Amino acid sequence: MLVAVVVAHPSAHSYCHALAGRAVAGLRAGGHDVEVLDLYGEHFTVAMTTQEREAYHGDTPILDPLVARHADIVKRADALVFVYPTWWSGLPAILKGWLERVMVPGVGFRFDERSGKVRPGLGQVRHLIGISTYGSPRSSVRLINDNGRRTIARALRMSCGWRVRTHWLALYAIDTATPTERHEFAARVERQMAGLR
Amino acid sequence: MTRALVVYCHPLETSFVAAARDRVLAGLRAGGAEVRLNDLYAETFDPGFTAADHANHLAAGVDPSLDRYAADLTWCDTLVLVYPTWWSGQPAMLKGWIDRVWVNGVAWSLPDGANRLRPELRNVRRIVAVTTHGSPKWINVVEGESGKRTVTRSLRTMCHPFIRTTWLALYGIDSASETKRTTFLDRVERRLSRLA
Repeated sequence: MLVAVVVAHPSAHSYCHALAGRAVAGLRAGGHDVEVLDLYGEHFTVAMTTQEREAYHGDTPILDPLVARHADIVKRADALVFVYPTWWSGLPAILKGWLERVMVPGVGFRFDERSGKVRPGLGQVRHLIGISTYGSPRSSVRLINDNGRRTIARALRMSCGWRVRTHWLALYAIDTATPTERHEFAARVERQMAGLR
Repeated sequence: MTRALVVYCHPLETSFVAAARDRVLAGLRAGGAEVRLNDLYAETFDPGFTAADHANHLAAGVDPSLDRYAADLTWCDTLVLVYPTWWSGQPAMLKGWIDRVWVNGVAWSLPDGANRLRPELRNVRRIVAVTTHGSPKWINVVEGESGKRTVTRSLRTMCHPFIRTTWLALYGIDSASETKRTTFLDRVERRLSRLA
């Protein structure tokens, strides 16, 4: 499979980047082709620009060559993996911006002219995978909200086919996690990614 | 007197959301509020949480370039967010404002020895969200309403304990009639003029 791994953390030495590295190692060990999209590393523009908003409903909604490259990978990918820290219960702004700028009409979905409805554009995607760290413990994430997970496992899922599978790998209460817990979680990420079929 | 901070986020001046912003401002002024406006796109707010932000996230305060935004947030008693809902949540620009302005020393603190965050925005007694959705309500329910939950659950936990949240949303704008749009704008202005 071709797997796109989208990483959204500003610091290259972060635990998040370490997790992304383990995910990539696991995927390669499992025989998959991997494309890493390191949003901060590639200086991805965070928010949709005025020009992009004006072009959004036209024939060429993509204006930025970097966005075009990401969109091309996404259209061919069999699995999408998102590695990011959960901030304010949701996606970091740069990852939210990635959804807005890459998943434009013609990539993430299309407008059906006749019915006026939105149709999925990611029918070929078989797996949607989130790998995220949370400051809060699992109980409060469950109780209060898990908006990043909802954005990927529900909103983005609606752009995929009915048979897509979602997987969620999370390390909760990271501020108080021991080195052993961090180490074990990273090992679990690698193992799960190696077993992806 | 009500001190209202309006945080507006849309790239286009010709948008419906811009019209909603104008009605928000008109309503607030009619109700006698003192108003400040943060227009994130027009002010070219930088929404990307940086490596420096990350390195300093346990130290109090915002990046020096964002002092004005932190001052406005700690000044207001009413926070009004005006934005389009994209991919079921706040646009990246607005999420970036949350990521970078609602930081340690502004929105929360972590006193020595404490194991949970202490809310610091006790000045904020009401949050109003004015937003549009391309898709109908039921699709947003299936998608999990992340944007609504971010406002009514996440942000509120760092504000006054008796904070009230007001959700003013137009769903299915892609197929909304002119009447439905106008009615919504009228409703926004009326509601914002009677906040007390």
